[in-house]
Amino acid sequence: MITNLDISLVKGRKNYSQITEELLANTEGRPPLWWLAAFGLGCLALAIGGWAFYMTLSEGLGTWGLNNSVAWGWDIINFVWWIGIGHAGTAFTIFFLIFRQKWAGSINRSAEAMTVFAVMCAGLFPLIHMGRPYLAFFILPYPNTRLLWVNYNSPLFWDVLAISTYMIMSITLWYLGMVPDLATIRDRTKNKFRKLIYGIFSLGWDGSLYTYNRYETLLKLLGGLAAPLVVSVHTVVAINFAVSVIPGWHATILPPYFFVGAIFSGFAMVLTLMVLMRKAFPIGDYVTEKHMDNIAYVLKYGSMVIGLAYATELFVAWYSGVEYEIYTFFNARATGSFSAAFWIMVFCNAIVPQVFWFKKARRNLVSLFAVSVIINIGMWYERYVILVSSLAEDFLPSSWVTYKPTLVDVGIFVGTFGLFTIGILLFMRFIPIVAINEVKPFARIGKDNHTKNEKE
Amino acid sequence: MNTKHIIGVFDDEDKLLKAIKRLKKQHANIKDVYGPATNHDLIKAFTRESMLPYLSVLIAIGTIIGAFGFLYYTSVIDYPLRYGGKPLFSFPPMVMILFLLTVLVTGGASVMAFLGRTQLFPGKEPAIIDPRATDDRFYLVMDQNFNPEEIKQWIAESGAEEIIEKEID
Repeated sequence: MITNLDISLVKGRKNYSQITEELLANTEGRPPLWWLAAFGLGCLALAIGGWAFYMTLSEGLGTWGLNNSVAWGWDIINFVWWIGIGHAGTAFTIFFLIFRQKWAGSINRSAEAMTVFAVMCAGLFPLIHMGRPYLAFFILPYPNTRLLWVNYNSPLFWDVLAISTYMIMSITLWYLGMVPDLATIRDRTKNKFRKLIYGIFSLGWDGSLYTYNRYETLLKLLGGLAAPLVVSVHTVVAINFAVSVIPGWHATILPPYFFVGAIFSGFAMVLTLMVLMRKAFPIGDYVTEKHMDNIAYVLKYGSMVIGLAYATELFVAWYSGVEYEIYTFFNARATGSFSAAFWIMVFCNAIVPQVFWFKKARRNLVSLFAVSVIINIGMWYERYVILVSSLAEDFLPSSWVTYKPTLVDVGIFVGTFGLFTIGILLFMRFIPIVAINEVKPFARIGKDNHTKNEKE
Repeated sequence: MNTKHIIGVFDDEDKLLKAIKRLKKQHANIKDVYGPATNHDLIKAFTRESMLPYLSVLIAIGTIIGAFGFLYYTSVIDYPLRYGGKPLFSFPPMVMILFLLTVLVTGGASVMAFLGRTQLFPGKEPAIIDPRATDDRFYLVMDQNFNPEEIKQWIAESGAEEIIEKEID
């Protein structure tokens, strides 16, 4: 029996060559004006980031707003924020592969692209935070003249391993997934240079069914291997916080709370990008209202879980009876110096996404876009609240400080936006944004159904 | 060496599936099928399950043992250093490291095994029969057989759009 969901995966009656034609539209012809403009803006942002990076390297970390008490500031906020966004791609591919949610098939390519670039942006921050990025390899266990090995008990080491593993696996899944599509471009193009480049990257793919068999097995295998990674990355990030005895951090709720937050912000970013891509390219028949609707549902429930986590944190702080915990949550965060950020966070993450209870809001591109952007602003504030409020006002009032980012802090953040934008734009330009070889079998289901209906 | 092959061109997976099932029943040698997409039924009818997962399990077990040995050697034997009065070697913090290393090495090795077995590599000249094989047509390639006329008839009866003969290796 064919369910309603299957029918709406690809709209209209399309044959394969029509699908190829429509989904390769973004890679052919001249780049549109908005693309060039956005690319220019991305380069500008990246240049600003380059300046900030240069300042950090040449002058040292003193150019940042960090101080004795707040030793983790914008850099780690942005790191956690980007890595959270980078969660959705692999979650899309894998959880939906496992749960057999076919609707993810037309979104996972762009979600994975987003993951790859977001994780790249995230990885930059700990690297720069080391102060001497060129000595970053010191954190790896290798035989060295210092005769020492690394401390395996430290979650910071796990973090290095978790993020690099996640990045390598995400890039692998993303790249392998597009090999058949690259072959399609190679066979279609008349341009010799394009043929050469796509020929190299498509690995000599010829569409053999033997290869397909092994390919599908490999993708399933990698998906299964990478599935726990989705959970592990943000869990490790949360453990980085949770092992330190700082009020507001030292809590067992942190890993699941971070994980849900990551999935939440990642899906929001996917939605932002899908709305933009739908506007820019003719993929409306593949990424349908139903897809948007489903993501909106995930966001709605994610928002409720996040809201519950906020409430639970407050409750546990009160119930613990520890005065420092109570101070951090009820004074510093909810009513004190950080109350503005705290309530922005609650409003953006727990309240605004509830508009998705209304069908109108789920079906309207403007409201989808607005809510998805608001969620990511809220998620940034969440990390800000967690990090800065706990560090700036901890046990000793004599060491309480205020924290303000400097221009260099902001510059690096802007730079990562540039990197992300450029990455996504290049992706939109040179790679089919919807996985063609994955979508084709869905069109078949629709076709069968149409003929069935006609017979009836 | 190039030999002559009979190639059935299909525009629909269902017809292709029918043809494969029929040819298999007659014990005709199908060399390969080239197409733009695939589905589970087609793969199941055409070939047997890939052995890759078994290899991956072996690699994973090897990685776990190797990584455990490395961690133990570096933290207990080579340079025993106490951090914060904790035991030299305790299992819980190693779980994360072992898990991540296993995923990384197994994933990488599986990809390498896949590329090696399918002989795909950057810059390989693809053996394409027709550019449409990656667009919208399926090509059922038959090996040299004892009864070419019969095979052509079977392919045609299963609904092939066209039957061509071509020399490929």
